[in-house]
Amino acid sequence: MRIELRGITKRFGSFTANDRIDLVVEPGEIHCLLGENGAGKSTLMNVIFGQLQPEEGEIVIDGETIKFANSGEAVRRGIGMVHQHFMLVPVFSVAENVVLGFEPTKSFDRLDRKKAADEIRRVSKEYGLEVNPDAVIEELPVGLQQRVEILKALSQDAELLILDEPTAVLTPQEIEALMAIMRSLAKAGKSILFITHKLKEVRAVGDVITVIRQGRVVGSVPPTTSEAELATMMVGRDVKLTVTKEAAAPGDEVLEIRDLVVRDDRGLAVVNGVTLNVRAGEIMALAGVQGNGQTELVEALAGMRRIESGTITVRGRDVTNNKPREMLDEGLGHIPEDRQRNGLVLSMSVADNLVLNTPRRAPFARRGTRNLDAVEQNARQQVKDFDIRTTSTRELVSSLSGGNQQKVIVARELSRPLAFLVASQPTRGLDVGSIEYVHRQIVNQRNEGLGVLIVSSELDEVFALGDRIAVMHEGRITGVVDATTSRETIGLMMAGASSQSAHD
Amino acid sequence: MTDLATPTPSAAPKVIPVGRTRVIGYITAGLGLFVLLAFGLGSSGNAHSVLTFTPVNTSTNAPWSIGALTVLTRYWNMAAGLIAIAIGVHMIVRRPAKGAMVRFGVAAILFLFALLLWAGRDPGPSQGLHVNLTSILIGSSALAMVLIYGALSGIMCERAGVVNIAIEGQFIGGAFFGSVIASTTNNFLLATLAGAVAGALLGLVLAFLSLRYLSDQIIVGVVLVTMMSSLSSYLNLQVLSPYPNLNTGNLASNIAIPLLYKIPIIGPVFFNQSGFFYFMIVLVSLISFGLFKTRWGLRVRAVGEHPKAAESVGINVIRTRYINVVLGVAIAGVGGVAFMASQGAFQVGYTSGLGYVALAALIFGRWRPSGAVSAGVLFGISAYLALNLQTYNIPISTEILGMFPYLITIAVVAGLVGRVRPPAADGQPYKRD
Repeated sequence: MRIELRGITKRFGSFTANDRIDLVVEPGEIHCLLGENGAGKSTLMNVIFGQLQPEEGEIVIDGETIKFANSGEAVRRGIGMVHQHFMLVPVFSVAENVVLGFEPTKSFDRLDRKKAADEIRRVSKEYGLEVNPDAVIEELPVGLQQRVEILKALSQDAELLILDEPTAVLTPQEIEALMAIMRSLAKAGKSILFITHKLKEVRAVGDVITVIRQGRVVGSVPPTTSEAELATMMVGRDVKLTVTKEAAAPGDEVLEIRDLVVRDDRGLAVVNGVTLNVRAGEIMALAGVQGNGQTELVEALAGMRRIESGTITVRGRDVTNNKPREMLDEGLGHIPEDRQRNGLVLSMSVADNLVLNTPRRAPFARRGTRNLDAVEQNARQQVKDFDIRTTSTRELVSSLSGGNQQKVIVARELSRPLAFLVASQPTRGLDVGSIEYVHRQIVNQRNEGLGVLIVSSELDEVFALGDRIAVMHEGRITGVVDATTSRETIGLMMAGASSQSAHD
Repeated sequence: MTDLATPTPSAAPKVIPVGRTRVIGYITAGLGLFVLLAFGLGSSGNAHSVLTFTPVNTSTNAPWSIGALTVLTRYWNMAAGLIAIAIGVHMIVRRPAKGAMVRFGVAAILFLFALLLWAGRDPGPSQGLHVNLTSILIGSSALAMVLIYGALSGIMCERAGVVNIAIEGQFIGGAFFGSVIASTTNNFLLATLAGAVAGALLGLVLAFLSLRYLSDQIIVGVVLVTMMSSLSSYLNLQVLSPYPNLNTGNLASNIAIPLLYKIPIIGPVFFNQSGFFYFMIVLVSLISFGLFKTRWGLRVRAVGEHPKAAESVGINVIRTRYINVVLGVAIAGVGGVAFMASQGAFQVGYTSGLGYVALAALIFGRWRPSGAVSAGVLFGISAYLALNLQTYNIPISTEILGMFPYLITIAVVAGLVGRVRPPAADGQPYKRD
């Protein structure tokens, strides 16, 4: 299928998410759409997929101008989408999910489950995507769920496949496998539109790379373009992609985790015997695919989740099952994974958010009343020191950009004496410029002798920051290795191999 | 095309059970122990209870009728208690993966049975009153039927993702209009239609407020119940009292199914009922079939579980929800008519919270029609006994029995008894982005 976008413009109120976008995807082509979070990639995809209607411009498929009222029409016209957040019903079987909306039926509206399963087997076989049609989605690992999403699109005879940030939830090996699938689909004549903000991936798999920034097409380039050039196009200025840091000078152990077992909300022991230590003046990077217990481990460290068994020791003091406030008193700095939920109170001002963890202490409070002058003064200082872009300290933190919201948290956590810092996905959703900034701050703290634990599912970040790298898989640490270990080895460890067997 | 030989992605984390089955085991065993001590050992050794199986007011199964059965209260109840304890201990020790709720239900039935024997023991406060098992089942079946109508209504709404806690108010509406139409036309088909229409209109209000204006569905539900109970007392005062022939209290007559109704004990319970009872059975089968076997059901459940996914394949989420809520609440309206047809003339407040028990049955039945039937039967019996046990002069307050469905529901909702999982998008407003 050849699809052409001509001058697509999509506005939300006064905000223009897509500004006169032109784009052509040829049959059998893997076309990468590269851009930062908030650049308008997902909006554009939703326009192509019929979930949003553009204000201006037209979509031309094989020479015919098309208007979609909803995504069902787009699917019928041969457009398939693999969503970033899977559009799969967790309690349904693979077959039920694949046929949903296009169900084969017998008399009395009955589902023809046999026909559905046969159809899935046929498509699986044709494209080499093995999956059991009777398996229930929620019992499948993420990589297989994604395969079901792809199957779903293919079984509706999709000729254009849109993949929206498909690699965020995958291990490096699963990413390799996905890329192989993409290549073979392209060879079979399918057009592929691959959306991502990861430079390595577009260069590895793309035929053409179109970069968009702030809703506009910056340009289309071949995959031979260097990462630095791509980053410049994406951000609009030169950026340093790697953090410069000197060798670590580790000191005493500040944090020791022993045999920790923590359950998640469903009662499963998702942290299942973790032992790990962090020394002063080093960055320990905890790598792993999302959902392998990192979130719960960090919550346990922050005192936000009950510890079933095992111990946590900070500078020799047992702090197991301390309350969050007691952990703050022990010198924990915490940059939480979900900054809008656990890091900030969105409906409060920048100034108030900057003292969120110390509101009862001098100088911010005296005899039970707040000292608003001190809060204000502190806010001014932090806004200046950490370059938080806000019109005023009284501004609601919800009106700040993601990068600046993260700066508020970083400023708050780093501006008091700490014993150690736990930063969970500290740069998720940030633009390259902000990533650079946050990374530098973290490295500075480590240089000043702070022990840092970084939890990240981005391997780039793990390698950029880590002095040592621990890998977590299914609630256990599969190994602790040093930062010179190869990406491939780490990848295997993320899939569950021990550091020993990963080396072999 | 070549196989891509993709590495098998790592398996999902293993589920480690938290021992909920164990908790239910303890509760079940505790129930059994109570039966053993209070109803078993609490009855004197020479006490006996008399069970009879002939419906009070008929001789319908005369040819095959079976006589009274005299049992030794103490030993039968001890046996019932021991069985419940055994079920409980088995659950604690063996922790079977499935069927915890069913086992608990069996123990609960044993409990109610032992309670009856204990209440009717002679010598005892009841002074030799016979326990008419068949009459009790017939009486309970009327309540169970209403509960099942209510629970089916909830299933229709909540499977599509709209919470309907206003079943009580919809019963009231159905009963009111059903009574007026039945009294004026003496035609229960018309009365049923009137109840369904009244329900559909109430459903439209619920759907409109929660789908169009994304209101909190719980609050809308509370408002609807409050409004219906006030409206019904107003109309009762202004219309029914001055014109009593609008509310004469017609009871639907029974339709006996030839031969089958003569089966001892169960015949009169299942095969000599009003049309509402048979219609309820048809509805249960229809909805069960529809939800789990048809394309319609798959789409409805998708809408209730993951509306965005449904939307992404071209299913109209809002329309599906409208249709389901209107149909579902119409069923509750029919339930109200059925209640009126089994209890007599409309009175203010005479549904006495049955709509909430239906809600409990919906949850205990895990949002499934078959589960709603089991829960409806269990709760129906206990609700009936709560209303009728005082005839035995037992020294305990029967209101405690009336709490039974709610206690079970609290245990269920708190996750003590089994894991219940509502449709994932239940109660969440849906907005296209």
